[in-house]
Amino acid sequence: MAGHKFHWNDWCPGCGNFGILSAEQQAITELGITKNTVIVGGIGCSGKLSQYTRIPVSGVHTLHGRAIPFAVGIKLANPSLEVIVNGGDGDLLGIGAGHFVSVGRRNVDIVVILHNNGVYGLTKGQAAPTLFRGMKTKSLPRPNINDAINPVTLALASGYTFVARAYAYDVPHLKEIIKQAIKHKGLAFVDILQPCPTYNDINTKEWYDKRVYKMQDMDPVVKSESEMQEKLKKAIDKSYEWGERIPIGIFYKNELVPTYEERIKTSAPSYYDNYPAEQKIEYEKKLTTIIDPLLEERKVSEDN
Amino acid sequence: MRISWMIGGAQGTGIDTSANIFGKVVSTLGYYIYGNREYHSNIKGRHSYFTLTISDKKVRSIPEKADILVSFDAETVLQHFNEIKGYIIYNEGVKGTKVETVQSMESEAAERISKQLESENLPKTVEGALESAKRRGVKLIPVNYDEIAKKVAEEAKVQLSVVERVKNVIGIAVSTKLLGINEEHLAKVAGSTFKQELYRKLNVMAIKKAYELTESVYSLPKLEGAPERYLLDGNTAVAIGKLYGGLRFQSYYPITPASDESMYIEAHQEVLMEDPKTGDKKKGAVVVVQAEDELAAVNMAVGAALTGIRSSTATSGPGFSLMVEGIGWAGMNEVPVVITYYIRGGPSTGLPTRTSQADLLFSMFAGHGEFPKIVVASGTHDEAFKDAVLTLNLAERYQTPVIHLVEKTLANSYTTVPKQDLGVGQLYADRGKLILSPPEDYARFQFTEDGVSPRAPLGKALMYYTGDEHNEYGFISEDPVNRNIIYEKRMKKLELADKEIPEEERVKVYGNVNSENVVITWGAPTGVFIDILEETKLDFALLQLRMFSPFPSRFVSKFLQGRKKIIAAEGNYLAQAGKIVKMNTGIEATNYILKWNGRPFLRDEVEEALRNVIEKDVKKVMLSGGS
Repeated sequence: MAGHKFHWNDWCPGCGNFGILSAEQQAITELGITKNTVIVGGIGCSGKLSQYTRIPVSGVHTLHGRAIPFAVGIKLANPSLEVIVNGGDGDLLGIGAGHFVSVGRRNVDIVVILHNNGVYGLTKGQAAPTLFRGMKTKSLPRPNINDAINPVTLALASGYTFVARAYAYDVPHLKEIIKQAIKHKGLAFVDILQPCPTYNDINTKEWYDKRVYKMQDMDPVVKSESEMQEKLKKAIDKSYEWGERIPIGIFYKNELVPTYEERIKTSAPSYYDNYPAEQKIEYEKKLTTIIDPLLEERKVSEDN
Repeated sequence: MRISWMIGGAQGTGIDTSANIFGKVVSTLGYYIYGNREYHSNIKGRHSYFTLTISDKKVRSIPEKADILVSFDAETVLQHFNEIKGYIIYNEGVKGTKVETVQSMESEAAERISKQLESENLPKTVEGALESAKRRGVKLIPVNYDEIAKKVAEEAKVQLSVVERVKNVIGIAVSTKLLGINEEHLAKVAGSTFKQELYRKLNVMAIKKAYELTESVYSLPKLEGAPERYLLDGNTAVAIGKLYGGLRFQSYYPITPASDESMYIEAHQEVLMEDPKTGDKKKGAVVVVQAEDELAAVNMAVGAALTGIRSSTATSGPGFSLMVEGIGWAGMNEVPVVITYYIRGGPSTGLPTRTSQADLLFSMFAGHGEFPKIVVASGTHDEAFKDAVLTLNLAERYQTPVIHLVEKTLANSYTTVPKQDLGVGQLYADRGKLILSPPEDYARFQFTEDGVSPRAPLGKALMYYTGDEHNEYGFISEDPVNRNIIYEKRMKKLELADKEIPEEERVKVYGNVNSENVVITWGAPTGVFIDILEETKLDFALLQLRMFSPFPSRFVSKFLQGRKKIIAAEGNYLAQAGKIVKMNTGIEATNYILKWNGRPFLRDEVEEALRNVIEKDVKKVMLSGGS
């Protein structure tokens, strides 16, 4: 591991990201998948997590809002990799909202982790899509004029097949949730409530500590097709609970929906046996793909 | 020998199918064809047309004036009667149609035609237009499509509605009779497009009746000894080329005229690969994703490429605009990815289904900051195929994005390509410094002599990527010394490419290389100039620019020294390639032949323009052909 000029960590003291990083490291290490794991981040404090992993996993720090498409490309080209996206609320629900929704339609077998702190930290605290209307955090010149997105509801509506919420300062619980998300067959989403000690002076650690509670009465697992509708409805209902009490835990889990990879297999049956990253497209510079049948279809001869 | 044929009609009424059948009829007789499709950004109802050149030699252009026009509706006659020099096959039923009542026609065109007919003292109707053509010596062939259909229905004892579909073959049949092609050959080819015996029978009956309508005036006997050929359009040429070149991931967002390429690949999602040593065959998946937008498309392709596979996307101007940030990331992170850029008319959505060469400068300078980019422009169909493999090779060798320029004209035109021109069997894979067993202490951006680092697939080694400036390991670094070194490492790769890729492969020269006149062109107009060189005695050398970055400066500079006329001929307003030549060589064009009306360079207008430039030293010619 090369002196590994591991990077100086830029996060502010007390940042919720430390809890998220720690839980992610533990989850990946405990599952024994370090070498196969790729952390993909967008831009902002959350995106830099891909650079700060002090365990042997690869990291891809991408573009603002585009972590999901990068992750999808990586996963589909090499489905043997574990791909985990980390993004902030601005990243995943603002500039990248289209990707956040669209990946739900595909159910790609990756994990999407939202660092939800209500602000754009790295650009000095502007309002992010999860900040409620009327809130005036300390760096805002005026109270927030926009309404907030509910990430859990949005993920459920978009087709994510594993939807959970956790809290950055409850690392053992968060770690368990991330482990479950990684093990889930299909697209997993974890909304992480994350205090930003520098810019969000409203949703602070003290504020969350009083409110978050672990769901006890929720049975999120869909066991048959007939249960799908009902469990999804319950999860959506639960996702609206917010205020004095904020539920954390798994809202929904459904492994009956075919993953995108499985869908590819229906049109390309060799997908898992010989996926793109495994194929030998040349041998000593000689191209191996046979295109004769394709050209034959275009051949000009009296018989066609 | 060169005969040109045109067919027009409302979009969605089988014009394409008819053109395909006709193309097959002549090409299966051994002739070479080159056909261009023009259409509105519309699904049904607007005017579309197809122009086809037939020749006994390789052909790469369409003329300004066609020999034969096949029309079914009023608008086709009105739009094209000025562009026909031989025969107009028309529907008797639309003779009385007034110009002002053709709703689908753009008002500017209707006004232009009305004014012309008025000035010729002719009625502003289809009949007036036909009369105008007749005065110029064009022969008219009236066809009563409905009457023939009715007779066929009666004879075959089927309902008239069943026979509707044979109407298209009637126009083709009159054309093939004019060309002297025998009835049986047409029946065989047309018949092969129908699965049902009934339709085959109806077709034969309709063909028979159509053949009675006119006499043969041309003579197209079967050509003996024609080499093996394929009928390819540009989109398909690139698609098959990519599959052959080992592309295994393609993402795209629907956009004309790029989508057809991706859809072709999607239709062939599994390929067969053969180990040349053992002969073992194995099937493999090609992943094609229709992304939610172009931002996703390019970044998915970049992500896929990180795993060590050959990956690409295809788009057009508006989509490329959105991809620029992702291309910058690929440049910064030295990711091999190919972006096939189908140029259409801009700015903005511009002319979405028409051709253009106005995005050259944009493609070269796309992205903030500086990073190496390779830009290749194909001129012909066989080049489009071979360049699909070449661009994949260059991307991996220099670990950088490669932009492959193909214009709408090339994408949507089709031609007969001799098998040997494709170079199948001779094309090879250059995977550059791809390593599958990286060392323990792997640094993705390791500093090397030539600036290219060994590249391991994501998953085979620990590695870090970031769009921020970074060190050898891929960790963010704003250190000024590191910045200098790694920045230079990236930029140096373009110098390496310039050294390694033979300049002769980056430009092609045709014609009289010693001529005092040089035409500089690129992309689809290349074919038009080659045809003119082969068919006329006009004295000029043709310089086809195939690679704009790295630009073959030494070759071009040397070639242009001391020439009397340097003619920049391209499909844009600014003479963009001319600007690039000047930027790299200091030599400025002396004359210009430019076109930006969305239509391809046409054989005859280009010849005329060239004569004006070479003989009369006209400085700038704006081409305006096409309807």
